[in-house]
Amino acid sequence: MPVYWGDLNVGDNFVTTQSLTLTRDDILEFAAEFDPQPYHLDKEAAENSIFGGLCASGWQVSALMMRLLTDTLHEREIAILGVASVQQVRWKLPVFVDDSLDAQVTITDSNEASGQPGVGTVDVNVEVTNQNQAPVISVQNRLLIAHAPTEAAHAR
Amino acid sequence: MHDRPYIRSRWFEDIPVGEFHVFGSHTFSELEIIEFGKKYAPEVYHTDPVAALDTYHRGIIASGWHLTAVWMRMMVDYMEHFARGVQDGRRNGAGLGLQDLEWFEPVRPGHTLIYTYEIIEKSDKVVRDKWGIIKSRNEAFNQYNNKVMSFTIDILAERNPESLS
Repeated sequence: MPVYWGDLNVGDNFVTTQSLTLTRDDILEFAAEFDPQPYHLDKEAAENSIFGGLCASGWQVSALMMRLLTDTLHEREIAILGVASVQQVRWKLPVFVDDSLDAQVTITDSNEASGQPGVGTVDVNVEVTNQNQAPVISVQNRLLIAHAPTEAAHAR
Repeated sequence: MHDRPYIRSRWFEDIPVGEFHVFGSHTFSELEIIEFGKKYAPEVYHTDPVAALDTYHRGIIASGWHLTAVWMRMMVDYMEHFARGVQDGRRNGAGLGLQDLEWFEPVRPGHTLIYTYEIIEKSDKVVRDKWGIIKSRNEAFNQYNNKVMSFTIDILAERNPESLS
């Protein structure tokens, strides 16, 4: 049964059931394509940098946040249409080789989407933690969620 | 002849508020949109050109996080270009966070984005005894000159030791 905008409430909380583990190859592959800086490509350079070791690009960590969020929404059959915006991203700790990531997703606000019949917005705070339960990234997303089909027909 | 410091070798103090750069452009192919989507945002509107036609987006579109990943690549390439062989001049550091990231229009296969940034604020705060914080406004425009993405980001830049003594 799909879960629509009207079924979601402020305060609802979802936790990922499947952790994502980041290998050295995952980090190197993303860095080679999108962020070829020494601290994401080279062990020694990384150890001498502000990060203290080979770590994932912050943009890879953001993308992994999206993957964890997407998996969580799919698992619950939530009718996501897209992401409208991101109010804030905070990178809190580097993500190192073999770190294992989980996400806690909390709904903080819910509104009708202006000018878009049949669509609502839901603000979700996503906290991604590593295997030591330390927060690595915190992201406030505004998601577009479909109304239940009858509600959509009524709104038109 | 260069009488100004290379972009990457400048101290925090040398970077002026108001400085504006058009720093890169990239054309998004269907293949790379799908590859990124499969790894990081596996929704049919990022991964399946046919199934995507029946979705809200009426066709395949790039993940918003793909647009930011390419932003980073354009920035690195631009900085490398202007570093011109300066090996030890890496005085920019980690990103701390970003604000107000908005996606205004979908990016579809074949669309080309032009990326710009402007330095908008410099904080007085000193991080870990040697870093300053620089805030920039970043935007991307498509081939119709429509704005498709915008955000601000806080990035560390090394302070001139003389200014801190």
